[in-house]
Amino acid sequence: MDPVERLYLDALTAEPAEPGRSLRPQLLAGARARRRPAERTAPWAEPFAGRVAAMDALLAAAVDDDWHRVIVEGWTLQELVAHLAAKDGLLAHAVGAPVLGPPLGVLDAAGRTAQVQEHERARSPEQTRRDWRAQADALCRHLATLDPAAPVRVDGLEAPLGDQVLARSLETWVHADDAARTARLALPHPVPEHIHPTADLCARLLPWTLAVSGLDGSGHVLELTLTGPGGGRWQVPLGLGDPPGTDADVSISADVVEFCFLLGGRGSAESLPARLGGDTELARQVLRSAPALSGP
Amino acid sequence: MEAPDDDRLLHQRVVGGEEAALGEAYDRFSALIFGLAARVTRDRVVAEDITQEVFLIFWERPLAYDPGRGSLRAWLATIAHRRAVDHVRSEERRRVSVLGPRLFEPEPARLEERVLAADEAQRVRQAVTRLPGALREVVELAYYGGRSYRQVGQELGVPEGTAKSRIRLALRRLAEELTEEEG
Repeated sequence: MDPVERLYLDALTAEPAEPGRSLRPQLLAGARARRRPAERTAPWAEPFAGRVAAMDALLAAAVDDDWHRVIVEGWTLQELVAHLAAKDGLLAHAVGAPVLGPPLGVLDAAGRTAQVQEHERARSPEQTRRDWRAQADALCRHLATLDPAAPVRVDGLEAPLGDQVLARSLETWVHADDAARTARLALPHPVPEHIHPTADLCARLLPWTLAVSGLDGSGHVLELTLTGPGGGRWQVPLGLGDPPGTDADVSISADVVEFCFLLGGRGSAESLPARLGGDTELARQVLRSAPALSGP
Repeated sequence: MEAPDDDRLLHQRVVGGEEAALGEAYDRFSALIFGLAARVTRDRVVAEDITQEVFLIFWERPLAYDPGRGSLRAWLATIAHRRAVDHVRSEERRRVSVLGPRLFEPEPARLEERVLAADEAQRVRQAVTRLPGALREVVELAYYGGRSYRQVGQELGVPEGTAKSRIRLALRRLAEELTEEEG
């Protein structure tokens, strides 16, 4: 900011004054009417509720042209929101929460995405946005009473419910970031308390991403250090079914957000700034295979 | 100039739809924003409306604020200032319109508009030159020279606290002079 403007604003705020006491409660009541806060849910599902609220804030700022601009996968913003609604709907169906959109015909992500996109193209972007948000909020409310450890099958993959929800959180985050980039907006990261469990999921997925890439990390243990707010350190056994290990023979250190985005299919192992140690060839294989589970 | 870390965290929480974060933003900045609006409009009721609207904008359109470009305090103050000036101008127009019809509607103000037009910035600079020497010196060092309070104190050979209180006094004098002319 220009120094003269800063001086001027500082001068005008040099004498703070207290507004009436009723203003604060009035503001908070008015805020609810202008923008819905993140839906209340169980603490383990809050990262998802937070990303839904952030995506919705982005959509609230979209004007006509924005909705028809291609964001990713050849999809417009409206089609991208339909894709999120499709995948949220599959999880909602699996746990008995309300599913919006056309009647469920298929239960795979690609098929359901195509079905919901077809349905939404005939509607206004605002209708698509409203139903996506309503379904996601209903899912959050439904999750509040469920056990995050219970196994749930979605799109052919069985995993604890808590992980399925974190995967929804990561996907909503990545796509909100896609949309923000197209709109030339800076989307702030989630709070560290929401990043950490997402990073934890990504760390635990590494044996699977190796396996689906046709690699076997059995007997190896990775020390993963993720830096930045929400980061931490993990000892990851790289073979499916390996016992928890502490004797790491390979290490990777990288930024926590860039690492999560790599798992989410954004960026590349080659361009990710990372420090590798121990068996560096294995470390490179871990990074190269990291996006293997990221769908569209 | 980038925003401080606590601005960033507050912004992250508001983008994530956390209502409590809006309450915290209000607690941190409402007295400054209300003070500014009250000084420019000289009307408590209008200043409260402006204060409420500024925080509602932050809640409803949180991505309009970019912490990479400045502090949250400056962003909120810029919006409050714009709204307050618009109010004063529309009041003036109302008074004028009793005498005859207006020929032109002014352009609607936009959020990202600059705070001061060139001639207004010139008025601020002139007001600085009219400050007593000791006050002018601290303002020039802190704002035009980009020095911290501590550096201002060192250069003038006075304790940091003295530099700080001189700057505060200078800012109040400037505010009085500038808003008197506006009124």
